[in-house]
Amino acid sequence: MLLIEADGKALFRAYGIPVPTGDEARAPATDGPWMVKAQVPVGGRGKAGGIRRCLTPQGAEAAAAAMKGARLKGHTVHSVLIEQAATGAERYLSLSVDPASYGVRVIYLAGGGMDVERAAEQGGAGVTCAPDRAAIADALSGLLTGDADRDALMAIGRKLADLLLEKELMLAEINPLFVGPDGAVAGDAKVVVDLNAVDLDRQPDIRAMIEARPGIYPDAIRKLQEGFDYVGLDPEGEIGLLTTGAGLSMMLIDELTARGGKPLNFLDIRTGQLRGSPQRIINALTWMAERPSLRVVLVNIFAGITDLGEFAGLLADALDATPQMKAPVVARLVGRGAGKAKEILAQRAPGMLVTEDLEESLGRVATIIGRPA
Amino acid sequence: MIGSLSRTTPVIVQGITGRMGRAHANLMRAYGTNIVGGTSTRATPEGVDGMPVFTSCAEAVAATGAVASVVMAPPDGTRVAVEEAISAGIKLVVTPAEGVPVHDAMAMGRAVKAAGAIWVGASNPGLAVPGEMKMGFLPDVTLAPGPVAIMSKSGTLSYEVGYRLVRAGLGQSIWIGVGGDAVKGVRFADLLAPFNADARTHAIALIGEVGGAEEEEFAAVLAATKGSKPVYALIAGREAKEGVAMGHAGALTYGGAGTLAIKTERLEAAGARVFASIESMIQAMTADLAAHRRSS
Repeated sequence: MLLIEADGKALFRAYGIPVPTGDEARAPATDGPWMVKAQVPVGGRGKAGGIRRCLTPQGAEAAAAAMKGARLKGHTVHSVLIEQAATGAERYLSLSVDPASYGVRVIYLAGGGMDVERAAEQGGAGVTCAPDRAAIADALSGLLTGDADRDALMAIGRKLADLLLEKELMLAEINPLFVGPDGAVAGDAKVVVDLNAVDLDRQPDIRAMIEARPGIYPDAIRKLQEGFDYVGLDPEGEIGLLTTGAGLSMMLIDELTARGGKPLNFLDIRTGQLRGSPQRIINALTWMAERPSLRVVLVNIFAGITDLGEFAGLLADALDATPQMKAPVVARLVGRGAGKAKEILAQRAPGMLVTEDLEESLGRVATIIGRPA
Repeated sequence: MIGSLSRTTPVIVQGITGRMGRAHANLMRAYGTNIVGGTSTRATPEGVDGMPVFTSCAEAVAATGAVASVVMAPPDGTRVAVEEAISAGIKLVVTPAEGVPVHDAMAMGRAVKAAGAIWVGASNPGLAVPGEMKMGFLPDVTLAPGPVAIMSKSGTLSYEVGYRLVRAGLGQSIWIGVGGDAVKGVRFADLLAPFNADARTHAIALIGEVGGAEEEEFAAVLAATKGSKPVYALIAGREAKEGVAMGHAGALTYGGAGTLAIKTERLEAAGARVFASIESMIQAMTADLAAHRRSS
C-alpha cells in the first residue's frame, strides 16, 4: 500500500534522510517559497493540480485551504503538507523489491522530475542486486561512478537501504532528490509498505502510522482490523458487492462499470474464514447501508470448498441483523450446496432472486437500477 | 517437473494434522492425488486417516520418496516450511497461504532457485492436472480434462473460467494458480514454454490482474516465441483504485505502472487476444476449440 508523502517523509526522517521543513497545519516559519502538496496516496499529483508553489505564507495557507476537502484522482484531500521549497539539482533515487529476481532494484538517474519517473517505471531502468545492505551499496556505488555528488548520494542510499530492509518496504523512492551546497534533501517520498508484514505485527510503527489516519487509509485499516478486504470505490455508487475472491470481485466491478453500473465497493470477504459467524457479512452490509446512494446488493459466491447452505444461513442472519440495509438483494450462488442455499433463502428471504447464472443476476441488477448494468 | 505431474507423483502435505491440512489432504486424495503422507510438529505415530505422519520433511521424503509438497501453514510459518521442504529434496512446493510477507517471499524465492526446485504460490488455490491429480483446493466442479492450459493470478476468477469451460464441453490440460502476491514462486512467463511443450494443450488461458509486471514479462516471452499456441487473456482490475491493493497484495497500481492499458497493449502486440469480459473469452475459446470438445 502506498503511503502519503507526509508519512513516507516521517520514515525518511526516522532514518536520517533529510527532508524539507514542513507542517500539515500551517506554513512553516522558514524562508520562502513554499510548496503546498495535497496528501493523497496516488502518483502524478503535480499534473492533477495537487501541488502548488507559493511565494508568501498567507498564499500557501490559502492554497492549502482550497485543496482541503477537494477530490484529487479519486481521493478526498484530508491533509495538505506545506514545506519550504528545496533547491538544488534534481536527481532520482529509488530502491524497490524486484519480483522477478527476488532482489532489490536500484535506480539512480541524474535528472529528476515527473517524466523521469515515468521513464523509470516503463523501462525497468537501474540494476538489481541481492536484498542486503552490502549488495545495495555496491550496486548504487556502481551507478554513481564519476558522479560529483557521490558521497552525499551514497550516504542517502545506505539509509534508504536500511529503511527498505528493516521496514520490509516494497518501494522507497525519492523523486526529486535535491542536491545542493548543503547536501541532499528528499523533495518527495513515495513509500509502498507490505500490509502482510504489518498484519503479522512485524511493523508496529507502520501500523500506528496507518491507524492514525482513518480518513486517508480507511481500506487498510479495515483490512488490518477485520481480516478481509473491503475497498470503498464510488461514494455515489449504487451497487453494493458481497463477493469473495479478489480477481472475480475486480472482474465483476469491471463488467458492471462497462455496462453503465456504478459499483459502491470491492469486497473479498473470504467465505472460507467465516467459521460459522455472520459478523463479516454484517459489517459489509452495514458499510454499504451507510451510503444513501445504495440501490441493490449483488451477492456473488463461487463456492469450491465453502458450503453454500451454511453461507445462505449466515447471509439470512446478517440481513436480519441489519434492518437499516433496505436495498433488495440479488444472489448468484454457484458450487457446493447451491440447491440447499436456494431452499434456505426462499424460506428466510422470500423475494430474493437466487440463481446459479451470473448473467441472470446481472440482468436483475439492471432491472432494479432501471438501466442496463 | 510441472509437465510430468500425474496420479503417480508422490505428494506430502506439510501441516497434515491441522484442521485445514487434514481436510484438504483427504479432498486431494479423493480427487486422485497420490498423497503418501504428511508432516506435523505433533508426533502422530498412528497417522491420520490412513496417511503416515512424520515430524520432518526429511523423514517423510526418506520414507515415502515424495517429490512434491503442499504446505498448509499460516503466512508467518510458510518460509520455514518451504525451506525445510527444499532442503529435504522436495522438487515442487505449493503454498496456498494468503498473507505471506514480501520479504519472506524474496528469501523463499532465492532458496528455491538455489536448490533448483519449483515453488507455486503464495495466495493461490494450487494446481491441477485434471483427471490425474491436484495440489491445493481447485474445486472439483471446475475441473475436467481438456485442451486449455490455465495460468491465473486469481483463484475465484479462474474457477469461473474453468467452470464455464467445463460447461461448454471443454476442459483443462493443466492449471497453475500462480497466486495474487507481488513476489511469488512460478510466474506467468515461466509457464509459456512448458505449456507449449505439453501435447495435451491446444490453447493457453492467461488470467491476470492489474499491478506488477507479470503480464508484460509474459508478453515479452510470447513475442520472442515462434509458433506459440494461441493465448487468450483476461485481466481484472480496469476499475481498480490506485494506491490500494485490491484484495491481492500484488494487485496494486500507482503512478501509471501495472495498469490494464499497458498490459493489454503489450499482450496484444505479442499476439495474444485480450478480452473485456469472462463470457466473451469463453465464447471465443468455445468457437476456436470446437474440434476439442468432449463428445459426452
